[in-house]
Amino acid sequence: MPLSFDKKIIGNEFDHTVFKPVTAAQIREYAEAVGETNPRYTTASDAELVGPPTFVVALRGKHFMPSNMPNLGRNGFDAGKDIDFGAPVRVGDVLTASSTVHDIYEKTGRTGSMVFLVLRSVITNQHGESVATIDQKMMFR
Amino acid sequence: MILDLHTHSEASEDSRAPVETYLKWLQRKRAEVPIDGLVLTEHRQWNPDIDYRALEDQYGCLILRGAEVETDYGHVLVYGVNDDITRRFDFTNVRLSARELIPAVSEMGGLALPCHPGRPTIGLCEHYETKGPIDGVVAVEALNGGSRRGENERVQAIIDRYGYKSFGGSDSHLVSFIGICATEFDRDIRSIDDLVHELRHGSYRPIDFRANLARKAS
Repeated sequence: MPLSFDKKIIGNEFDHTVFKPVTAAQIREYAEAVGETNPRYTTASDAELVGPPTFVVALRGKHFMPSNMPNLGRNGFDAGKDIDFGAPVRVGDVLTASSTVHDIYEKTGRTGSMVFLVLRSVITNQHGESVATIDQKMMFR
Repeated sequence: MILDLHTHSEASEDSRAPVETYLKWLQRKRAEVPIDGLVLTEHRQWNPDIDYRALEDQYGCLILRGAEVETDYGHVLVYGVNDDITRRFDFTNVRLSARELIPAVSEMGGLALPCHPGRPTIGLCEHYETKGPIDGVVAVEALNGGSRRGENERVQAIIDRYGYKSFGGSDSHLVSFIGICATEFDRDIRSIDDLVHELRHGSYRPIDFRANLARKAS
């Protein structure tokens, strides 16, 4: 069946979350969890401490998907992330995530047709600087 | 003249290869991969505004553009894309009719050639077995750098049966794959019109550089 959905869903913000200020404990816990040993992520003073680049992936907004998400298939799975990194995350930063459906597209491969959903989250800090743009891909068939 | 007729850059959603990095890699690997140019065939898209002439001049490598589209007979490379073609065919449609596309592209001045024909589901061979042949096919990609064992070998039967010409391409999505398979033309090609003309009327053959790279690596 050809993919059919209301294209107006593309680009509309479905989540806007302002997170509590980042703490040193959050950064150190994340660094420990992913096995980081670099002192700038682990033992630096609070003023010098920065989050490992993938720290932003641990942020969870209020809504993972739009409420009016079209049915793209019965089976879906994580198809990877692309992340553009910007300003580093520092202790005390107030991060905001704005999430949109960036793209929905269909392709065919050795095993048949599949649909890809790309959810884009733009993370900014309290200075309006871009911290990261995360494109989360999911594949459905 | 040797061209890689099937390549993808970061403009395709499943590739991370910048065009300039391809060119830098080819400069370094000139001895093992002596190609003169490449054709970017991005998946399901055509952007008329991209201009690679500055990179061509800087690196001395011909850069042409086409597209890889998806049809009911598998994937097809379209060379000589123009406004008439993009007005008639939606390249994002993964269910294009090959019986309609292939002759229509020719009528509109381009050329549509099936790629990786031996691949399951998205290759011509499987569909020929169930739906019969298509009129207007001039050549098929007999050598594809991304094919699995047995997929390229499967293509020879339809080449023999239908008299198709054969060409090669790397189907590169990663920088180090550029040019591993390519096409050797008897005549020089300087433009996309030259390419369409030579693919239709000229003499050419697939060429495989993987052994060169393997020898160098060992």
